[in-house]
This record gives sequence, C-alpha cells and structure tokens, in this order.
Amino acid sequence: MPLVEIEDLRVEFGAEAAPVIAVDGIDLTLDVGEVVGCVGESGSGKSVTALALMGLVEFPGRVLARRLAFAGRDLLALSDAQRRALVGKDMAMIFQDPLASLNPCFTVAFQLTETLRIHGSDAERVSARLRRARALELLRQVEIPDAEARLAAFPHQLSGGMAQRVMIAMAIACNPKLLIADEPTTALDVTVQAQVLELLLRLQRERGMALLLITHDLAVVAETAQRVFVMYAGQVVETGAVPQIFEAPVHPYTQALLAALPEHNRDRARLKAIPGVVPGQHDRPVGCLLHPRCDYAVARCRVERPPLAGPSGRQARCHFPLDAEGRPTRGWRPEPKTATVEE
Amino acid sequence: MTSAAPLLEASSLTRHYAVSRGLFRPKGLVRALDGVSFSVDEGRTLAVVGESGCGKSTLARAVTMIEKPTAGELRIAGVDVVSAASGTLKRLRPLVQMVFQNPYASLNPRKKVGTLLEEPLAISAKLGPGARRDAARAMMARVGLKPEHYGRYPHMFSGGQRQRIAVARALMLHPRLVVADEPVSALDVSIQAQVLNLLMNLQEELGIAYLFISHNLQVVRHIADAVAVMYLGKIVEYGAKDAVFGRPAHPYTRALLASTPTLDARARRQRIALKGELPSPLDPPAGCPFHTRCPHAIERCRAEVPRLEPFGVIRVACHRAAELS
Repeated sequence: MPLVEIEDLRVEFGAEAAPVIAVDGIDLTLDVGEVVGCVGESGSGKSVTALALMGLVEFPGRVLARRLAFAGRDLLALSDAQRRALVGKDMAMIFQDPLASLNPCFTVAFQLTETLRIHGSDAERVSARLRRARALELLRQVEIPDAEARLAAFPHQLSGGMAQRVMIAMAIACNPKLLIADEPTTALDVTVQAQVLELLLRLQRERGMALLLITHDLAVVAETAQRVFVMYAGQVVETGAVPQIFEAPVHPYTQALLAALPEHNRDRARLKAIPGVVPGQHDRPVGCLLHPRCDYAVARCRVERPPLAGPSGRQARCHFPLDAEGRPTRGWRPEPKTATVEE
Repeated sequence: MTSAAPLLEASSLTRHYAVSRGLFRPKGLVRALDGVSFSVDEGRTLAVVGESGCGKSTLARAVTMIEKPTAGELRIAGVDVVSAASGTLKRLRPLVQMVFQNPYASLNPRKKVGTLLEEPLAISAKLGPGARRDAARAMMARVGLKPEHYGRYPHMFSGGQRQRIAVARALMLHPRLVVADEPVSALDVSIQAQVLNLLMNLQEELGIAYLFISHNLQVVRHIADAVAVMYLGKIVEYGAKDAVFGRPAHPYTRALLASTPTLDARARRQRIALKGELPSPLDPPAGCPFHTRCPHAIERCRAEVPRLEPFGVIRVACHRAAELS
C-alpha cells in the first residue's frame, strides 16, 4: 500500500462561480521510503498540493479529491483533532524561508520541545528534562555545531543554513513517515545548499521516511530524487523516473524547461526561452493548458485537453508525446503557418 | 587583458564599515571590500560570484558611485572616482547604470512605465518632453515591450516583463557599463532564459559592458567573459571564464563548482564537502580568510594572508595553488 495516495485533487480559492484553480486534478502516489521530486515554475500548484496534503489550506480555500489518503487513512474523513494528531507527527513539512518559519520570540529549545510536548512519547510529554535531552540529540543529528549553546539561541542569532537545520530537527522530532520539503534550499547559498540536501538525504535513508522535495530547480531534483512529477498550471504534465525523464522527456514542457537551462546550451548561444507566461486566473486556456506556449501545438491541442496517459510510471499529459529523439509522435503534422495565427 | 585602457579598473579597492557593537564596546570594522583589483573592458562581461556576505553588493555600490570607497583606486573611463569632485561624479554617473535583483521591488508601483523610463532623462539629459517620450518608446521596442505598455503600471506585468522594464530604464542614458546584481535569480527558468537572451542581445547591439553579479554558476558560465570569485571581501580567483571553470585553482572555486547541482549524471563529480558556513565579516579569521573551511589548510594558511598572484593564465590567492593543481 502506498504511503500517500492522491486522486483527482482540486484546490480552489475565491468565489464558487469563478474560482481560482490552484490545483487541477492531480494524481500522485508516494511509497514508503521514497524520494520524489515535484518541479514546476511559480504558480504551478506544487506548494498548494503539499499544503492540501498537510491540511493547511484554510477557508475560503476548498480542497476536493476523490481520494486523499495517508498510510491508508482517508484524510478528508478525519475530524480536525484527528488530523492535527497526524500532522507534525507522521507527516512533517519544512518551508523555503527558515527564518520566517521560526517564531522570533522563542528560543530554539522552546520551539523544539513544543513539538515533543504535543506529539512526543508519553514519557516526553510529562518530563521537561527528557524533552530537553531529546532536543539536544536532535540538534546533533542535524549537525549543528555547539548544539548545547544553540538551544538557548533565538532565531535571529542563526544563519539561514542553521535555521533550516533547526527546522529539519523540528520536522523529524517525531519520526515522521513523510517529510515534505518545500524549496528547502532556495534561500541558501550553494555550498550550504549542498550541505542541507546531503543532510536531508542522510536522514531520509537512516529513518526510511518518504521525502517529497518540491523545487523549481531541475538540477536539485536530478541529483536527489528517484522519481519526478513535473507540474504546470496546477496539473501534473509528466511523471517518470530519474534520470530517464531528464534524458528523454516525453512532454514538450519538460523538454522546453530543460532547453531553457544555460547548462544545456553552448557558450553564449541564445537560450531557447519558453515564450509567454504561466496562465493566470483569467487566461486559463481551453484545451491543453500549455498550447499557447508550446512549439508543437496544433488544432487538436487548442480544443481538447489531453489526459495523463502512458505506461505506468512514465506518463505525460500530451496528445503527441515526444519520442526518444524529442519529436512529437502519433501522427503529429506541423500546421501550415496561416493556421497557427490565433486571435 | 587587452592593451587598450579598460572601461573600469579597480585596484586595491577597499570599503570598510564601522558598526556599533553596543554602547560600551569599541566600534567593529566590517571589511566588506578588502583590497579588490579587477578590470572590465568595453563590451565585455565580468561575472562576480560568491556567497552572501562576500562583498558582491558592496562592490556594486562602489562601482555605481553610490558609496565612496574608503581606500584604493577606482577608475571609470580613465577618471579616478575616489578623488573626483562632485561635478565630475555627476558627469560619470550616467555611464554606469544598474539592474537590481527583484523587479517587484525595484520599480515604483505608483509610476507608469513611461514615467519610469523617462525619469533618468529628466534628471540627467536636457531633453524636452516629446524627445523623452520618443526615446522611451524606442527603448521599449528594443527590449521587447509593446507600445501599448507605455501607460501601464508595473503591477500589470509579470516578473520577466518587469525585469525588461528595469533593463530598459538602466539603458535610457546610454551607459557603457551596466551593473546587474543577480538580475535573473528571482525569475523562473523559462523567464530567466528570456532575460539572459535580452542581456546578451543588447550587449552585441550596443556594445555595453556588464558587471554581472550572481551566485548561479551555470548562468555565469553561460554569459561571462571573465570571472572573479569572491570570499569575505577578497577576490580569491580571477581570470578568463574558460580558464577558471576549466581548471579551477582555488579550493573555494572547486568547492563552489562541486556544490552546484547538475542535470548530467555522468558529469557529477565527487562532492567536496565544505564544512561550516561563511565566518562573520566582523571577525574574519587571521591568515587566509578561507582556511577555516578549507580541506587543504596548513599552518601557513592560518598565519599569512595569501595575495592574488598570477598562476598560469589566471590569478589566484592561495598558498598551495601550485601543489594542489
């Protein structure tokens, strides 16, 4: 049984008649102990998906799903109290800006032991001494130098990398089965990013927890994840294993993202930019959501929204998935120039 | 690197800040820039890379003449800025313009695009309103903005479009050097590519030079001609891009390159585990600033500050550069 099962997840905000669709029918499964990457540009719905799973989408946001389950339990059927008992214990999350996630008014020790006071073992819930010892042990596990002194530190006394380590310590305090890391290294410097990623992967291996790594950085995912979901405008457009998905992308969006990276281009050559921007609330296209920005879009793409299809573990949301040479298949014909002019 | 006089030349450029450490303690000294020497030729790109706190932004402030250096020499188009009178500075300032990291913060939300673009002209050029408008419209076309964008406000644009506006504004006075401080790091990958292309096109068309400040080595590798790697206010490695990226000589440059994630599984090198973080610039280590994190540090590194010295075709500040290569 997979650890996380998400089927047809929709998250909407705003008026029911004209909702802002943040997540539009996502299917996602995570197995126990798996490292899965979720990549996409800003506005693609990757963070909102994680928040929906954590139960952190607040009113007036609406979370609808055919199935949203964690370790076999239907999350949407749980009461608020049952859900709170799960969140922070069996599933934990760390965020992009660690200094904004920590409470500036309390010490590291207070914030770490708070987690244990609420979610810890029976012994930990009653003994402050035990909680403090455990907090110290956690700081050592996340490789914070001089851990004893850091317990008394306030967040503003920590560097970004240290603060993210404290966040990780809080997240793993109750041995979660799933850790969601939402852009955990985006605010950090390169050398510190490498340290934090290494730390996350070591903890994931040692504890056998599943790690959902949300990022906009394709290279970070390529180095860490076993499987990737590529998201665009609230939908999963492609899913597959690493490194296959980066070596031979099936969806034109993945291909275009890779082509836009300086790493994949000759020195000073013009980069293959993707024209336009991610659609917003008012300009959500009919048909395939990518078609206004897609090189291969033809008449069918403009009217019919493609389903996520393909062999299990290698799916793409495209009428004309790309072959190994990166060319569209299934009888795709380039349209004559006049037909592509759109109003 | 060429025989012609460079557009921008800094030698032993220094900027120190006195910071208060409390009522009864003596003031501390932050050596934000500590004896930095480099040059930028006309129409070329020098990339400055380094982590936060290494002095990149202080460098940008010195080069744009926002702040005077506390010591050293800075020559722009042959004129020494440090000793220049305010009238000379006023004449020099249009030559160096700046593009900032965050286009959501760097554009005044209460001004229309046209006003934003014409403002530098109103201040520094003696042009009538009609001529200013024509110049703004011409610049908008050059950076890929549509004529109807003239009367719109910044909030009506996406991040990539806003960065185009910021670039257009920087170019209004026909500068010869544009200081770009992390110009693409707030943008998504697909938009980043658009802005990088724009910057490269403008350089070819107008012959402007860039001082390109970035922490993203993949971007730097793509667009720079020369690279300066900074650490705690000092340049630790400096040279032509191909030489620096091809055979990095300083242990810090190697660590930076090894820490940068890459898509190519085959090119994935052994991670050089760099311990710890950047030391506080208030209390920099004695000797080589990098010795606290360097895997190759010896006794000499702890005592003696290495100078930036020629090493093959590049310059490097490391006592052990020759042994380690």
